[in-house]
Amino acid sequence: MEQEQTNNKKILVIEDEHFIGELYTRALNKNGYTVKVIADGIEALKECQTDRYDLILLDLMIPNMTGFEILNKLKDPSTTSPVHAKIIITTNLEQRDEIKKEIEKKADAYLIKANLTPNELVDFLSQVK
Amino acid sequence: MDDFKKLARIYKNITFIFLILNLLIIFGSLYIESHFFNLSFYFSLALSGLMSVLFLTIIYIVLPKLFLKPLEILWYTILKLNPDSNSYFPKVDQDKLKVGKELVGNLIGQIYKIAIVANQDLMKVEQQKTDLSSEFLATRIPLPIFVLDNQETVKFVNKYGATYLGLEITDILGKNIYSILDLAFSSDDTLDNWLKEVKNKTAISIKSWERVKLNLQNNHPTLYFDMVAYYNLGNSQGYSLILTLFDHTKQYSEDDQAISFVAIAIHELRTPLTLLKGYIEVFSEELKDNLTPELSSFMEKMKATNDQLNLFVNNILNVARIDSDQMELKLTHQSWNSILSEAIDNISLRAKVRGINFETDIEQNLPEVGVDRISIQEVIYNLLDNAIKYSKDSKRIIIKSFLNKEGYVETTIQDFGRGIPENIMGKLFTKFYRDYHNRSQVGGTGLGLYISKAIIDAHQGNIWVKSKQNEGSTFGFTVLPFNLLSKDQKDLVNDEIVQNAHGWINNHSYYRR
Repeated sequence: MEQEQTNNKKILVIEDEHFIGELYTRALNKNGYTVKVIADGIEALKECQTDRYDLILLDLMIPNMTGFEILNKLKDPSTTSPVHAKIIITTNLEQRDEIKKEIEKKADAYLIKANLTPNELVDFLSQVK
Repeated sequence: MDDFKKLARIYKNITFIFLILNLLIIFGSLYIESHFFNLSFYFSLALSGLMSVLFLTIIYIVLPKLFLKPLEILWYTILKLNPDSNSYFPKVDQDKLKVGKELVGNLIGQIYKIAIVANQDLMKVEQQKTDLSSEFLATRIPLPIFVLDNQETVKFVNKYGATYLGLEITDILGKNIYSILDLAFSSDDTLDNWLKEVKNKTAISIKSWERVKLNLQNNHPTLYFDMVAYYNLGNSQGYSLILTLFDHTKQYSEDDQAISFVAIAIHELRTPLTLLKGYIEVFSEELKDNLTPELSSFMEKMKATNDQLNLFVNNILNVARIDSDQMELKLTHQSWNSILSEAIDNISLRAKVRGINFETDIEQNLPEVGVDRISIQEVIYNLLDNAIKYSKDSKRIIIKSFLNKEGYVETTIQDFGRGIPENIMGKLFTKFYRDYHNRSQVGGTGLGLYISKAIIDAHQGNIWVKSKQNEGSTFGFTVLPFNLLSKDQKDLVNDEIVQNAHGWINNHSYYRR
């Protein structure tokens, strides 16, 4: 039996590919994170705005509202409900240059999902300070 | 005159090709009809004649359109020269100007010169004080035109030029051309470099570029065009350079959309790759103590295979980026030792499953380099992947890295496999090139070296190969220590971004609340 650790960190995984959400939840739970997965863009934005999370994994291609739109809303300087979570873009989609530059300004980290195993993702997250 | 000759040559070549095609159609169809359909000779002859007439009709329609287009632009231009003319001039679709760009550019330059002289005379006669440049012939040419003095200051721009950039003529006049046009060329053969060269050497010169990219401010879409420059030192008005733009935004941005298609396709490929990677990890973690040696080696092979597919997917994306000039590097301060060992680590499983050992001889304390970590690791992956693939029965690959005599960080990867025949060495770094003999024996696409060269070139490094057939090959490349980067390259360095093998982490704090 694996020892479940706890690090008291809350993480919101915004991901519409159910199986990926499942794998990430498993690895994150093992490392002590409390995980919630949401697959819908609008619902995800609402959940982000509760500001209950330490980390947000944000997929860019999700239904109803893109991850890029969510990022823009969360980092809008005029927002009345600032979010303190670190935002990590997790995507498999290559972005156009203009969007890449915007993401660089607004997100805290960026990764291509296909390049990491779930455990490597957990390691990566531990480096996001 | 060279431009006329060029146009004539293109015309000759095309008509010759059509002639051959027509003959092929006649004889080919005759042959097919008589051998496969058993038609009578006269009937076959009539049918072939009919097909030939159809083909010639298509040529009859297409050829004049193609070759009369330059003439058409100039014809409208000359028509407009007549101040009494009130005729309606249809808009000329520049996209259809497939041949004779240099000729049109050159002739516009000549007409412009005549117009300057004509206007001087007009000024003398009429003593007009208004800016006559607005009456210049160039005002009426339906192509964006910029006239510069020898300091590259814009002396004149026609209304098409201003509209094209979404600016007013007054916003452009008197400004340095480079502050107005932020031009991006596909090679270092730029306007600036060409001008430096011709200014010292020649009095008159003409040059054209294809696929020039222009980024505009204020969320304007990117413009793409071909450009012709006409340089004339001896102009008494101090107008030394005329730039004419041929818009191809629609056509070239469709190429951009092609990369979006590639991006979507890659997204679809990466999703199952992500899942497989995850499941393999879960299985090896959970079953590691319960697997037989055979099953555990299968597990490793499965992981290595998944990684290989991932490298290939990334390669496709890189080729699409390189081919559409969208390869963007993010140079950062990096430790070469850490980059190299991380890359070797990540690919060592692929070597292990084939029983190959990496022997490393890496100088400690190599200087910090200025590189794009993810791209440069792709070079290492590709070179190591090739070394593994072409190792045949040999089980040794030697990786060395050291500071060479020129002060560059040099890395070599040596295998003892089948080697490369001398006659194909020169073509190795071209896209899809693979040794014919190896094609049937070794998988792969021939993209790796093409990508590696493009990435190393973009880092201002060198890449080369030494090889002897049946003895093996050594691939080597250099990257620059950070302090040797040129000023332009240092401007690209963004130390707020911390890269690692899996992505980047932003160091900035000012967006945080």
